[in-house]
Amino acid sequence: MAPLEPWEKVLVELDAFSQTAHGKQTCVDCHGGVQSPDKETAHEGLIASPSAQPEMYCGDCHEEQVKTYPFALHSTQAGYWTALNTRSAPENHPALEEMFGNHCATCHTTCGECHVSQPKQVGGGLFTGHVFEKTPPMTRSCTACHGSRVGNEFLGKNEGFPGDVHFREARMNCVKCHEGADLHGAAIEAADAETHRYAGEEEPKCVTCHPTTAPGGDENPMHQSHGDTLSCQVCHSITYTSCDGCHVAISTKSGNPFFETQATYLTFLIGRNPNPTEERPYKYVPVRHVPVAPTSYQFYGANLLPNFNALPTWVYATPHNIQKNTPQNASCQSCHGSDGSLFLTADKVKAEELEANRAVIVGLIPPPVELFFRAPKMPASHRTLASNACTACHTTGIRNAPVSPEDHAAYKDENCSGCHKLQE
Amino acid sequence: MKSKALKILIVAFLLLSACGKANPPSPTATAEEKPVGTESVAEVQPEADECVACHTDKERLIETAAPEMEAESESKGVG
Repeated sequence: MAPLEPWEKVLVELDAFSQTAHGKQTCVDCHGGVQSPDKETAHEGLIASPSAQPEMYCGDCHEEQVKTYPFALHSTQAGYWTALNTRSAPENHPALEEMFGNHCATCHTTCGECHVSQPKQVGGGLFTGHVFEKTPPMTRSCTACHGSRVGNEFLGKNEGFPGDVHFREARMNCVKCHEGADLHGAAIEAADAETHRYAGEEEPKCVTCHPTTAPGGDENPMHQSHGDTLSCQVCHSITYTSCDGCHVAISTKSGNPFFETQATYLTFLIGRNPNPTEERPYKYVPVRHVPVAPTSYQFYGANLLPNFNALPTWVYATPHNIQKNTPQNASCQSCHGSDGSLFLTADKVKAEELEANRAVIVGLIPPPVELFFRAPKMPASHRTLASNACTACHTTGIRNAPVSPEDHAAYKDENCSGCHKLQE
Repeated sequence: MKSKALKILIVAFLLLSACGKANPPSPTATAEEKPVGTESVAEVQPEADECVACHTDKERLIETAAPEMEAESESKGVG
């Protein structure tokens, strides 16, 4: 949307606003200041953003939200710190804190920046004449910040790629899936606060609205065979954005913080889930390259990310461009026995990032389905074997084990049960 | 005796007249009380809200809003 003029940002629509509960307060109740026709005098002691102090200004009526919001990711931005702490070392934290304050903390969001005005980060300005919106207006609030990846994908702004079916066909906005509790947080103390957006429960879950797609839920063989090993987005998302090499600094010319991203490009790549959990047990997920580099913060000090390789640069992703039909779900051959173009194989990873991405790189392309169906079953007696090192016996033939064919040389123990299912 | 009785009657009449009700208010007089009441309510209302007066007046805001000097972004690429 076009930038607002300075006067537009603060124009109050009194008829509408005075009909609302917030409009029953006087301006000074929340914003301080002084009753005067002179602007300078009137603005003495002005509190432009009362909800930056939610306990004081919002808590009387919105007790539940105010209790949890200080520990919500929109408030804490803990996701950044989880990654920074993992890649850095304690002695680097002061420099990184300075960097964060200059370049990242502006994304912290107050109640008002979702419910009454555009976020400061994108210029501010009242949404609708100071009327508080229970549902934040999507493009002026949510995708105003989450625009370059999620917004563009969801709204179909990546040229040549349709928007998300939930938006395209159902005109759903963000809060249809991301409900208030997800956005306002659920923890009431720091110890329980979320550390990352993919930590804890998977919320929202596709199967909440599409329950039949869960394993055992419908006749779709893809859902039956892959429902618990592939995240939904592996089959139902399409090409999305990746970025490389973001570097931050303070301008010597203006004194303002700035960033420079080396590259932005479209990808669709399936990688291994680096951290399968009970909530997200998937073996494979789409992966997106995040723009971190070992030298991203070098303006603030040398080697501030000494443990750079502790996290992948191709990360678990949930692209917001869901389609029923996608190139990869058109047939089994898109993945099985394919040329591997859909997979994050080592050749697609920069040499200097191979170590960081060891956990997500796909070593072996899924074999053709014919081979899969022909594969001998694993004897039921193997259920009780203490060792799961298949290759220990099947490469040497000891204990009369059938020796695996030569074309199996690349397979590792973890791959065997993918084709050789245990006999019932 | 007659004149004494007459005097008593006259005094009694005057006394009774003095204790009698004043003329009942006419309907017009009743109607006239309402504005008095309205004026008293108006007196306790707050003074005009200067914040609202300015922030609902587009022309005044255009006149007084400080122009924003948008610093040219030195960032490059997608954020």
